[in-house]
Amino acid sequence: MKCYVPGSNVKVLGRTVHALARFGDELYLESLPECMLLRTLNAAESAYAMVKFNKNFFSYFNYNYYSTEDNEGLKCKISMKSALNTFKSPTHMDKQVENLEIKLDPEACKLIFQLKCKHGIVKTHYVSILDCKAMQAVYTKDSVPNRITSSQRLLSEALTNFQSSDDQVTLEASTQSFILRNYTECSADSLKVIRTQINLKPLEFTSYTIGTETTITFTLKEFRALLSFAEALSLPIQLHFETTGRPAVFIVHNGSTFEAHFVLATSKADNATQATATQNTTIDRKRKESSFQDSARKKVHIDNDISKCLDEDSHLFNFIDIPDEIPPPSALFNGDGAINGVNEETNNVNSSKINNDIDSDHIPASPTAKAMIKSVFRRCFESTFDPRAIRGVILAEDSDSE
Amino acid sequence: MDEETSQYYFTASMDSGKTLCSLLKAIQFQESAVFCALPEGLKFTVEEGKCVQASAYVPADNFTEYHVRDDVDVMFKISVAVLAECLNIFGSGEESSLKMYYRCEGSPLLLVLQPQSVYNVMTDCEIFTQTADSVLELRDEDCPEVAKLVLKAPAFLGLLSDLERSCDIIEINLSPEHPHVSIVTYGMQDRSCIEVPKSSDMVQSFSCEEPVTLKYQLHHVRLIMKALAISTKVVLRCSSNGLLLLQLKLEKEDQRQMFSEFYIVPLLDD
Repeated sequence: MKCYVPGSNVKVLGRTVHALARFGDELYLESLPECMLLRTLNAAESAYAMVKFNKNFFSYFNYNYYSTEDNEGLKCKISMKSALNTFKSPTHMDKQVENLEIKLDPEACKLIFQLKCKHGIVKTHYVSILDCKAMQAVYTKDSVPNRITSSQRLLSEALTNFQSSDDQVTLEASTQSFILRNYTECSADSLKVIRTQINLKPLEFTSYTIGTETTITFTLKEFRALLSFAEALSLPIQLHFETTGRPAVFIVHNGSTFEAHFVLATSKADNATQATATQNTTIDRKRKESSFQDSARKKVHIDNDISKCLDEDSHLFNFIDIPDEIPPPSALFNGDGAINGVNEETNNVNSSKINNDIDSDHIPASPTAKAMIKSVFRRCFESTFDPRAIRGVILAEDSDSE
Repeated sequence: MDEETSQYYFTASMDSGKTLCSLLKAIQFQESAVFCALPEGLKFTVEEGKCVQASAYVPADNFTEYHVRDDVDVMFKISVAVLAECLNIFGSGEESSLKMYYRCEGSPLLLVLQPQSVYNVMTDCEIFTQTADSVLELRDEDCPEVAKLVLKAPAFLGLLSDLERSCDIIEINLSPEHPHVSIVTYGMQDRSCIEVPKSSDMVQSFSCEEPVTLKYQLHHVRLIMKALAISTKVVLRCSSNGLLLLQLKLEKEDQRQMFSEFYIVPLLDD
């Protein structure tokens, strides 16, 4: 395999490698007659990324330059560190690099990247090949009911509201709304956890089709990586997903030269603690494109009274809503309102009737970890254990006292 | 006035201590430096494990006043961090004029700083000095110079910052044939090679009669990066024993120049 990448596209390739590096530690490279594929898989095998560069991405492309007999393309696996070293600073790359040549000789044990830079400087990286295997993930992206196309800014701006310590995000998609919230493990201390929730209107998106309403949870780290990739190349993101347990596929492409697929495994949100309760408030929520940032508000509700912990929900609560017309915060969401909402939900949980329907006229109230607390502290409410209360069969007699 | 200054071993004054401060910070990889006032100018020398010797040299014409008593050696050890911090005492945004006094052996270095924008404010700092250790004499007059290169400092900095940090060894090959300069680094599994022909824009002059291959600790070469960042030009000189001398020129706005100099000891094949 031998190919030349023109200077302007070296930046794209560099960005790709940097995005893939946030997924996995190894980079799989495969050359086919019409394209070159870069793939990676994360260590937990929950995220996979594949970027396809068509022949016209290159100024010269020959998948079979060193004419192997079997006319097959070449496959290899290299360490991501080496690949990153080749594309050290993708931001400045297009200014410095005039041309990049990638060579792979079937007999050789090194993949060669040769960068021809300004000032006549030639940088050659001889990268060791770790393996000669290809890797491919199986997923469907075409026959799925839910498809959303978003501008690259929208989702990354939404993600800036999340804490850097959040590692998973739950997406609740219905025909009326698109809700993102951080996923917290129910075992986490609910007093210390900040919950963030962002409600986006379907109108915000370029296209929005939800065939089956669903809730999926996936990792934030990879999501952030693919968003910054899309943002760096200023290309929109297509999101194709089915339901919980089926992979969500994010597609970034420019239509002609390359196409990137980022596949994230989804898991089920824990209903007991993650479900969104609803609260009846009538607010007109017509949306305007520009209102997103201005109206993003954070409302933090902290209840420090630990004694309330068992009968009332109290945790750090970070809520973001983005209505067009903002009612005075006190009217929308004062402390009492929040607690009322929670109480309502507590009843729902207790009676095992979780109301998941999100009406556009409803404001989701704070999720609660109360069910968990109850189960942890249940023993506290039971009567004290008294060994004398147990009378009957003696399983083992007392040993002789010496 | 003359009598007053002559009681001091060394006095100097300067309109702005800013450049001096950034030059000091560029060689600040050791706690203390040897401060040496010569009739030609001021020199600070720092050594790292007898392998790297860095000097900052400020020629006397950078000072508005400069007196050194010629009957004594003015040489002492001083903390670079403290000196740099004192020079920057009004913050990095503030230009301040600087006066330095050193009375006699064992006395502290006295600095008087006055910010230019604020009137009637003055700071004087006393920095304790220590007796200087001997400074390594790395230059060997018997070893002739085998290659000399003049490069643009920003471009050379770009090359060095592109090198893989985890590599230990940097190999510099110089040859009269193409490619005239090649820099090779060996990583865990990979090898990277940077080739620069002498026709390149970043090479201002190149002289080399015989091909030479020299190996250095990459860590040692990276020590020059801070100084490269503030310099305009760098001269690389290799002597036949492998000693690498890098001379960096810093050009100030007022056309005056300050210099820094790095000696790097080569790695020998075993």
